[in-house]
Amino acid sequence: MRVTILDYGVGNLHSLSKAIAAAGAEPVIVDDASAATRAEVLVLPGVGAFAPAAARFVAAREPLRDAILAGLPTLGICLGMQLMFDASDEGSGAGLGVFAGRVTRLTSEAVPQIGWNALDDPTEPLLAESGLREVYYANSFACRAVDPAIVGAWSEHEGDRFAAVVRRQRSLGVQFHPEKSSTQGVAFIRAFLQEAAA
Amino acid sequence: MLRKRVVVCLDVKDGRVVKGTQFVELRDVGDPVALAMRYEAEGADEIVFLDISASADDRATLFDLAQRTAERLFIPLTLGGGIRRVEDVGLALRAGADKVALNSAAVRRPEVLTECAARYGAQCVVASIDARRNATGWEVVVKGGREATGLDAVAWARECEARGAGEILLTSIDRDGARTGYDLELTSTIAAAVRIPIVASGGAGNASHVNDALTMGGADAALVAGILHDRLTTVSEIKDAMAQAGIPVRRVA
Repeated sequence: MRVTILDYGVGNLHSLSKAIAAAGAEPVIVDDASAATRAEVLVLPGVGAFAPAAARFVAAREPLRDAILAGLPTLGICLGMQLMFDASDEGSGAGLGVFAGRVTRLTSEAVPQIGWNALDDPTEPLLAESGLREVYYANSFACRAVDPAIVGAWSEHEGDRFAAVVRRQRSLGVQFHPEKSSTQGVAFIRAFLQEAAA
Repeated sequence: MLRKRVVVCLDVKDGRVVKGTQFVELRDVGDPVALAMRYEAEGADEIVFLDISASADDRATLFDLAQRTAERLFIPLTLGGGIRRVEDVGLALRAGADKVALNSAAVRRPEVLTECAARYGAQCVVASIDARRNATGWEVVVKGGREATGLDAVAWARECEARGAGEILLTSIDRDGARTGYDLELTSTIAAAVRIPIVASGGAGNASHVNDALTMGGADAALVAGILHDRLTTVSEIKDAMAQAGIPVRRVA
Protein backbone atom coordinates (compact mmCIF):
# COMPACT_ATOMS: atom_id res chain seq x y z
CA MET A 1 0.00 0.00 0.00
CA ARG A 2 1.25 3.48 -0.91
CA VAL A 3 0.82 6.07 1.80
CA THR A 4 1.07 9.70 0.73
CA ILE A 5 2.64 12.07 3.25
CA LEU A 6 1.90 15.72 2.53
CA ASP A 7 5.01 17.83 3.12
CA TYR A 8 4.20 21.43 4.15
CA GLY A 9 7.84 22.30 3.55
CA VAL A 10 8.95 22.49 7.15
CA GLY A 11 10.86 19.50 7.96
CA ASN A 12 11.60 16.21 9.40
CA LEU A 13 9.43 13.49 7.88
CA HIS A 14 12.14 10.87 8.36
CA SER A 15 10.75 9.30 11.55
CA LEU A 16 7.20 9.24 10.21
CA SER A 17 8.30 7.64 6.92
CA LYS A 18 10.20 4.98 8.81
CA ALA A 19 7.24 4.26 11.09
CA ILE A 20 4.94 3.85 8.06
CA ALA A 21 7.50 1.53 6.46
CA ALA A 22 7.77 -0.39 9.75
CA ALA A 23 3.98 -0.75 9.67
CA GLY A 24 4.33 -2.49 6.30
CA ALA A 25 3.42 0.25 3.81
CA GLU A 26 5.31 2.35 1.29
CA PRO A 27 5.59 6.04 2.25
CA VAL A 28 5.60 8.62 -0.56
CA ILE A 29 6.28 12.26 0.27
CA VAL A 30 4.55 14.87 -1.92
CA ASP A 31 4.56 18.64 -1.60
CA ASP A 32 1.66 19.24 -3.99
CA ALA A 33 -1.62 19.31 -2.09
CA SER A 34 -3.70 18.69 -5.22
CA ALA A 35 -1.75 15.45 -5.81
CA ALA A 36 -2.71 14.45 -2.28
CA THR A 37 -6.37 14.30 -3.32
CA ARG A 38 -5.52 11.30 -5.51
CA ALA A 39 -3.78 9.42 -2.69
CA GLU A 40 -4.71 5.90 -1.69
CA VAL A 41 -4.12 6.80 1.95
CA LEU A 42 -3.14 10.27 3.16
CA VAL A 43 -1.07 11.29 6.19
CA LEU A 44 -0.90 14.91 7.33
CA PRO A 45 2.28 15.09 9.41
CA GLY A 46 2.86 16.89 12.68
CA VAL A 47 5.72 19.28 12.23
CA GLY A 48 5.55 23.03 11.72
CA ALA A 49 3.18 25.88 12.43
CA PHE A 50 -0.50 26.28 11.42
CA ALA A 51 -0.40 29.39 9.20
CA PRO A 52 2.39 28.40 6.76
CA ALA A 53 0.99 24.85 6.53
CA ALA A 54 -2.56 26.10 5.85
CA ALA A 55 -1.18 28.54 3.26
CA ARG A 56 0.55 25.63 1.58
CA PHE A 57 -2.69 23.86 0.68
CA VAL A 58 -4.95 26.88 0.31
CA ALA A 59 -5.52 26.34 -3.44
CA ALA A 60 -6.36 22.67 -2.95
CA ARG A 61 -8.35 23.11 0.26
CA GLU A 62 -11.80 22.38 -1.21
CA PRO A 63 -10.79 19.34 -3.30
CA LEU A 64 -8.77 17.93 -0.39
CA ARG A 65 -11.71 18.36 1.99
CA ASP A 66 -14.09 16.82 -0.56
CA ALA A 67 -11.75 13.85 -1.10
CA ILE A 68 -11.53 13.17 2.65
CA LEU A 69 -15.30 13.51 3.10
CA ALA A 70 -15.79 11.19 0.10
CA GLY A 71 -13.82 8.52 1.95
CA LEU A 72 -10.07 9.09 1.42
CA PRO A 73 -8.60 7.50 4.58
CA THR A 74 -6.58 10.25 6.25
CA LEU A 75 -4.46 10.32 9.39
CA GLY A 76 -3.66 13.78 10.77
CA ILE A 77 -0.88 13.83 13.36
CA CYS A 78 -0.47 16.72 15.85
CA LEU A 79 -0.42 19.82 13.57
CA GLY A 80 -1.92 17.55 10.89
CA MET A 81 -4.92 16.89 13.18
CA GLN A 82 -5.24 20.62 13.87
CA LEU A 83 -5.28 21.34 10.12
CA MET A 84 -8.35 19.06 9.83
CA PHE A 85 -10.34 21.47 12.06
CA ASP A 86 -11.80 24.86 11.02
CA ALA A 87 -9.20 27.34 12.26
CA SER A 88 -6.47 27.91 14.85
CA ASP A 89 -5.51 30.60 17.35
CA GLU A 90 -1.89 29.80 16.47
CA GLY A 91 -2.09 31.47 13.09
CA SER A 92 -4.23 32.69 10.23
CA GLY A 93 -5.66 30.62 7.43
CA ALA A 94 -8.46 28.11 7.06
CA GLY A 95 -8.15 24.51 8.12
CA LEU A 96 -9.76 21.73 6.09
CA GLY A 97 -12.93 21.79 8.18
CA VAL A 98 -13.25 18.00 8.19
CA PHE A 99 -13.89 18.33 11.92
CA ALA A 100 -16.00 21.18 13.34
CA GLY A 101 -14.15 23.17 15.97
CA ARG A 102 -11.27 25.48 16.69
CA VAL A 103 -7.67 24.96 17.77
CA THR A 104 -6.69 26.88 20.91
CA ARG A 105 -3.65 27.12 23.17
CA LEU A 106 -3.37 24.67 26.06
CA THR A 107 -4.52 26.44 29.22
CA SER A 108 -1.79 24.88 31.38
CA GLU A 109 1.14 26.90 32.66
CA ALA A 110 3.66 24.39 31.28
CA VAL A 111 3.50 24.84 27.50
CA PRO A 112 4.55 23.12 25.31
CA GLN A 113 3.40 19.85 26.77
CA ILE A 114 6.37 17.54 26.20
CA GLY A 115 6.36 13.91 27.21
CA TRP A 116 4.30 10.79 27.67
CA ASN A 117 0.69 11.07 28.74
CA ALA A 118 -2.20 8.65 29.24
CA LEU A 119 -5.13 8.17 26.90
CA ASP A 120 -8.25 8.59 29.03
CA ASP A 121 -11.73 7.15 28.35
CA PRO A 122 -10.71 5.47 25.08
CA THR A 123 -13.56 4.44 22.79
CA GLU A 124 -11.61 4.42 19.49
CA PRO A 125 -11.35 0.74 18.45
CA LEU A 126 -7.89 1.11 16.86
CA LEU A 127 -6.44 2.02 20.27
CA ALA A 128 -7.56 -1.23 21.86
CA GLU A 129 -6.48 -3.13 18.77
CA SER A 130 -2.93 -1.73 18.97
CA GLY A 131 -2.64 -1.78 22.78
CA LEU A 132 -1.85 1.95 22.75
CA ARG A 133 -2.53 3.49 26.18
CA GLU A 134 0.31 5.98 26.74
CA VAL A 135 1.50 8.30 24.01
CA TYR A 136 4.16 10.90 23.29
CA TYR A 137 3.12 14.54 22.98
CA ALA A 138 4.96 17.71 21.94
CA ASN A 139 2.22 20.33 21.54
CA SER A 140 1.26 23.83 22.60
CA PHE A 141 -2.21 23.82 21.01
CA ALA A 142 -5.16 21.44 21.13
CA CYS A 143 -8.37 20.87 19.13
CA ARG A 144 -11.71 21.80 20.68
CA ALA A 145 -14.33 19.71 18.89
CA VAL A 146 -17.82 21.22 18.68
CA ASP A 147 -19.27 17.72 18.98
CA PRO A 148 -17.57 15.69 21.75
CA ALA A 149 -19.00 12.52 20.22
CA ILE A 150 -16.24 12.57 17.56
CA VAL A 151 -13.57 12.25 20.29
CA GLY A 152 -12.27 8.70 20.65
CA ALA A 153 -9.91 9.37 23.59
CA TRP A 154 -8.85 12.30 25.78
CA SER A 155 -5.72 13.40 27.56
CA GLU A 156 -5.28 15.82 30.43
CA HIS A 157 -2.41 18.26 31.00
CA GLU A 158 -2.46 20.33 34.19
CA GLY A 159 -6.24 20.45 34.25
CA ASP A 160 -6.78 21.01 30.52
CA ARG A 161 -8.64 18.01 29.09
CA PHE A 162 -8.24 17.88 25.32
CA ALA A 163 -9.06 15.55 22.42
CA ALA A 164 -6.35 12.96 21.85
CA VAL A 165 -8.15 11.18 18.98
CA VAL A 166 -11.02 12.24 16.70
CA ARG A 167 -12.66 10.27 13.95
CA ARG A 168 -14.97 10.90 10.97
CA GLN A 169 -15.66 7.87 8.81
CA ARG A 170 -12.27 6.35 8.04
CA SER A 171 -10.28 9.50 8.81
CA LEU A 172 -8.56 10.09 12.13
CA GLY A 173 -6.84 12.96 13.83
CA VAL A 174 -4.42 12.28 16.69
CA GLN A 175 -2.83 15.00 18.83
CA PHE A 176 0.03 12.73 19.90
CA HIS A 177 2.90 11.33 17.81
CA PRO A 178 2.28 7.62 17.10
CA GLU A 179 5.65 7.48 15.30
CA LYS A 180 7.30 8.39 18.64
CA SER A 181 5.06 6.23 20.84
CA SER A 182 7.18 3.10 20.59
CA THR A 183 5.99 -0.35 19.49
CA GLN A 184 2.31 0.31 20.24
CA GLY A 185 2.45 3.61 18.31
CA VAL A 186 3.69 1.79 15.22
CA ALA A 187 0.99 -0.85 15.84
CA PHE A 188 -1.60 1.96 15.84
CA ILE A 189 -0.36 3.19 12.44
CA ARG A 190 -0.51 -0.40 11.18
CA ALA A 191 -4.09 -0.78 12.47
CA PHE A 192 -5.10 2.47 10.74
CA LEU A 193 -3.56 1.29 7.45
CA GLN A 194 -5.24 -2.12 7.71
CA GLU A 195 -8.61 -0.46 8.22
CA ALA A 196 -7.89 1.85 5.27
CA ALA A 197 -7.08 -1.14 3.06
CA ALA A 198 -10.20 -3.06 4.05
CA MET B 1 -1.22 13.64 33.52
CA LEU B 2 2.34 13.60 32.19
CA ARG B 3 4.52 10.67 33.18
CA LYS B 4 7.90 11.12 34.80
CA ARG B 5 10.47 10.01 32.26
CA VAL B 6 13.50 7.75 32.30
CA VAL B 7 15.95 9.10 29.73
CA VAL B 8 18.83 6.86 28.70
CA CYS B 9 22.01 8.66 27.67
CA LEU B 10 24.58 7.16 25.38
CA ASP B 11 27.90 9.01 25.24
CA VAL B 12 29.23 8.48 21.74
CA LYS B 13 32.66 8.93 20.26
CA ASP B 14 33.66 7.93 16.72
CA GLY B 15 30.30 6.21 16.27
CA ARG B 16 30.60 4.00 19.38
CA VAL B 17 29.10 4.25 22.86
CA VAL B 18 31.71 4.99 25.51
CA LYS B 19 31.53 5.53 29.24
CA GLY B 20 33.97 7.20 31.59
CA THR B 21 34.05 8.94 34.94
CA GLN B 22 33.91 12.72 34.80
CA PHE B 23 34.45 12.63 31.03
CA VAL B 24 37.82 10.80 31.31
CA GLU B 25 38.91 7.12 31.34
CA LEU B 26 36.69 6.17 28.42
CA ARG B 27 35.62 2.57 27.85
CA ASP B 28 33.86 1.19 24.77
CA VAL B 29 30.47 -0.22 25.78
CA GLY B 30 28.79 -0.98 22.47
CA ASP B 31 26.98 -0.12 19.26
CA PRO B 32 24.69 2.93 19.64
CA VAL B 33 21.85 1.70 17.39
CA ALA B 34 21.67 -1.72 19.05
CA LEU B 35 21.86 -0.21 22.55
CA ALA B 36 19.21 2.42 21.80
CA MET B 37 16.84 -0.28 20.54
CA ARG B 38 17.53 -2.46 23.57
CA TYR B 39 16.70 0.40 25.92
CA GLU B 40 13.50 1.21 23.99
CA ALA B 41 12.43 -2.43 24.41
CA GLU B 42 13.21 -2.22 28.15
CA GLY B 43 10.93 0.80 28.45
CA ALA B 44 13.17 3.86 28.08
CA ASP B 45 11.06 6.95 27.42
CA GLU B 46 13.73 8.79 25.45
CA ILE B 47 17.27 8.33 24.19
CA VAL B 48 20.03 10.96 24.24
CA PHE B 49 23.17 10.68 22.13
CA LEU B 50 25.87 12.92 23.51
CA ASP B 51 28.87 13.26 21.23
CA ILE B 52 31.83 13.75 23.54
CA SER B 53 34.41 14.19 20.82
CA ALA B 54 32.60 17.11 19.24
CA SER B 55 34.89 18.07 16.40
CA ALA B 56 33.40 19.11 13.08
CA ASP B 57 34.23 15.73 11.50
CA ASP B 58 32.55 13.89 14.33
CA ARG B 59 29.40 15.96 13.90
CA ALA B 60 28.88 14.41 10.47
CA THR B 61 29.40 11.00 12.10
CA LEU B 62 26.84 11.92 14.76
CA PHE B 63 24.21 12.95 12.18
CA ASP B 64 24.81 9.75 10.25
CA LEU B 65 24.41 7.78 13.47
CA ALA B 66 21.16 9.66 14.26
CA GLN B 67 19.81 8.82 10.82
CA ARG B 68 20.59 5.12 11.21
CA THR B 69 19.09 5.10 14.69
CA ALA B 70 15.92 6.99 13.74
CA GLU B 71 15.18 4.34 11.14
CA ARG B 72 14.64 1.81 13.90
CA LEU B 73 13.95 3.76 17.08
CA PHE B 74 10.34 4.85 17.73
CA ILE B 75 10.79 6.98 20.83
CA PRO B 76 12.18 10.54 20.95
CA LEU B 77 15.87 11.02 20.25
CA THR B 78 17.96 13.97 21.46
CA LEU B 79 21.35 14.87 20.01
CA GLY B 80 23.97 16.85 21.88
CA GLY B 81 27.66 17.61 21.70
CA GLY B 82 29.32 20.03 19.37
CA ILE B 83 26.09 21.51 18.05
CA ARG B 84 26.74 25.21 17.73
CA ARG B 85 24.69 26.91 15.03
CA VAL B 86 21.05 27.06 13.98
CA GLU B 87 22.09 25.26 10.79
CA ASP B 88 23.45 22.35 12.87
CA VAL B 89 20.09 22.08 14.62
CA GLY B 90 18.33 21.88 11.25
CA LEU B 91 20.71 19.14 10.14
CA ALA B 92 20.18 17.22 13.38
CA LEU B 93 16.39 17.38 13.05
CA ARG B 94 16.51 16.34 9.41
CA ALA B 95 18.73 13.41 10.40
CA GLY B 96 15.88 12.22 12.62
CA ALA B 97 16.53 13.86 15.99
CA ASP B 98 13.51 15.22 17.85
CA LYS B 99 15.46 17.56 20.11
CA VAL B 100 18.88 19.12 20.18
CA ALA B 101 20.88 19.87 23.33
CA LEU B 102 22.99 23.03 23.31
CA ASN B 103 25.65 23.48 25.97
CA SER B 104 28.80 25.57 25.47
CA ALA B 105 27.38 27.14 22.28
CA ALA B 106 24.57 28.67 24.37
CA VAL B 107 27.02 29.89 27.02
CA ARG B 108 29.13 31.52 24.33
CA ARG B 109 26.18 33.06 22.52
CA PRO B 110 22.81 32.76 24.36
CA GLU B 111 20.93 34.18 21.33
CA VAL B 112 21.35 30.79 19.64
CA LEU B 113 18.63 29.39 21.94
CA THR B 114 16.15 32.03 20.76
CA GLU B 115 17.10 31.56 17.12
CA CYS B 116 16.61 27.79 17.33
CA ALA B 117 13.29 28.09 19.19
CA ALA B 118 11.97 30.64 16.69
CA ARG B 119 12.92 28.49 13.74
CA TYR B 120 12.12 24.99 15.01
CA GLY B 121 9.97 25.44 18.14
CA ALA B 122 10.81 25.42 21.85
CA GLN B 123 9.91 21.72 22.08
CA CYS B 124 13.14 20.74 20.31
CA VAL B 125 15.53 23.08 22.12
CA VAL B 126 17.22 21.60 25.20
CA ALA B 127 19.56 23.77 27.25
CA SER B 128 22.24 21.45 28.59
CA ILE B 129 23.76 22.89 31.77
CA ASP B 130 26.79 21.39 33.53
CA ALA B 131 26.99 22.71 37.10
CA ARG B 132 29.64 22.45 39.80
CA ARG B 133 29.28 23.36 43.45
CA ASN B 134 31.15 26.37 44.74
CA ALA B 135 31.14 28.31 48.01
CA THR B 136 27.81 30.04 47.31
CA GLY B 137 25.88 27.68 45.06
CA TRP B 138 26.66 26.22 41.64
CA GLU B 139 28.72 27.55 38.79
CA VAL B 140 28.15 26.68 35.14
CA VAL B 141 31.11 24.86 33.64
CA VAL B 142 31.76 23.73 30.06
CA LYS B 143 33.99 21.24 28.26
CA GLY B 144 33.07 18.45 30.65
CA GLY B 145 33.99 20.57 33.66
CA ARG B 146 37.41 21.61 32.44
CA GLU B 147 36.43 25.22 31.97
CA ALA B 148 34.60 27.51 34.40
CA THR B 149 32.31 30.23 33.04
CA GLY B 150 31.66 32.46 36.05
CA LEU B 151 27.89 32.04 35.47
CA ASP B 152 25.60 31.20 38.38
CA ALA B 153 23.66 28.04 37.45
CA VAL B 154 20.29 29.29 38.75
CA ALA B 155 20.51 32.60 36.91
CA TRP B 156 21.70 30.83 33.77
CA ALA B 157 18.80 28.32 33.92
CA ARG B 158 16.35 31.25 34.13
CA GLU B 159 18.03 32.94 31.19
CA CYS B 160 17.87 29.74 29.11
CA GLU B 161 14.13 29.53 29.78
CA ALA B 162 13.61 33.20 28.93
CA ARG B 163 15.55 32.77 25.70
CA GLY B 164 13.33 29.96 24.49
CA ALA B 165 14.69 26.63 25.71
CA GLY B 166 11.90 24.06 26.08
CA GLU B 167 13.71 21.88 28.57
CA ILE B 168 16.84 21.83 30.75
CA LEU B 169 19.24 18.92 30.93
CA LEU B 170 20.95 19.56 34.25
CA THR B 171 24.16 17.67 34.99
CA SER B 172 25.96 17.75 38.30
CA ILE B 173 29.63 17.54 37.35
CA ASP B 174 30.47 16.69 40.98
CA ARG B 175 28.27 13.60 40.85
CA ASP B 176 28.83 12.55 37.23
CA GLY B 177 29.84 8.89 37.23
CA ALA B 178 30.11 8.79 41.06
CA ARG B 179 26.93 6.69 41.51
CA THR B 180 26.21 8.27 44.89
CA GLY B 181 22.88 9.78 43.85
CA TYR B 182 21.80 12.92 41.98
CA ASP B 183 22.58 16.33 43.49
CA LEU B 184 19.05 16.80 44.85
CA GLU B 185 19.72 20.27 46.17
CA LEU B 186 20.91 21.46 42.76
CA THR B 187 18.00 19.76 40.99
CA SER B 188 15.30 21.08 43.31
CA THR B 189 16.78 24.60 43.30
CA ILE B 190 16.75 24.79 39.50
CA ALA B 191 13.35 23.07 39.26
CA ALA B 192 11.89 25.72 41.55
CA ALA B 193 13.47 28.53 39.52
CA VAL B 194 11.96 27.68 36.10
CA ARG B 195 8.69 26.37 34.60
CA ILE B 196 10.18 24.22 31.85
CA PRO B 197 10.92 20.52 32.49
CA ILE B 198 14.16 19.51 34.20
CA VAL B 199 16.03 16.35 33.29
CA ALA B 200 18.26 15.47 36.26
CA SER B 201 21.64 14.03 35.34
CA GLY B 202 24.80 12.86 37.05
CA GLY B 203 25.08 10.47 39.95
CA ALA B 204 22.55 7.67 39.40
CA GLY B 205 23.75 4.57 41.24
CA ASN B 206 20.48 2.69 41.65
CA ALA B 207 16.72 2.88 41.13
CA SER B 208 16.05 4.65 44.40
CA HIS B 209 18.35 7.50 43.35
CA VAL B 210 16.08 7.97 40.33
CA ASN B 211 13.01 8.06 42.60
CA ASP B 212 14.69 10.69 44.78
CA ALA B 213 15.48 12.91 41.77
CA LEU B 214 11.84 12.71 40.60
CA THR B 215 10.32 13.37 44.02
CA MET B 216 12.60 15.34 46.35
CA GLY B 217 14.60 16.70 43.42
CA GLY B 218 11.46 17.91 41.64
CA ALA B 219 12.78 16.71 38.27
CA ASP B 220 10.44 15.75 35.42
CA ALA B 221 12.84 13.17 34.07
CA ALA B 222 15.97 11.37 35.19
CA LEU B 223 18.90 10.60 32.97
CA VAL B 224 20.66 7.27 33.44
CA ALA B 225 23.63 5.80 31.61
CA GLY B 226 26.50 3.89 33.21
CA ILE B 227 24.47 1.75 35.61
CA LEU B 228 22.47 0.45 32.65
CA HIS B 229 25.48 -0.11 30.39
CA ASP B 230 27.16 -2.05 33.24
CA ARG B 231 23.91 -4.00 33.78
CA LEU B 232 23.73 -3.06 37.44
CA THR B 233 20.02 -2.44 36.89
CA THR B 234 17.53 -2.21 34.01
CA VAL B 235 15.03 0.40 32.85
CA SER B 236 12.22 -1.93 33.88
CA GLU B 237 13.61 -2.30 37.40
CA ILE B 238 13.85 1.49 37.66
CA LYS B 239 10.26 1.83 36.46
CA ASP B 240 9.02 -0.86 38.85
CA ALA B 241 10.55 1.12 41.70
CA MET B 242 8.96 4.34 40.42
CA ALA B 243 5.53 2.68 40.23
CA GLN B 244 5.92 1.28 43.74
CA ALA B 245 6.73 4.77 45.00
CA GLY B 246 3.54 6.10 43.41
CA ILE B 247 5.34 8.11 40.72
CA PRO B 248 3.34 8.38 37.45
CA VAL B 249 5.28 6.22 35.03
CA ARG B 250 4.82 4.75 31.56
CA ARG B 251 4.89 0.95 31.63
CA VAL B 252 5.65 -1.39 28.79
CA ALA B 253 3.99 -4.78 28.51
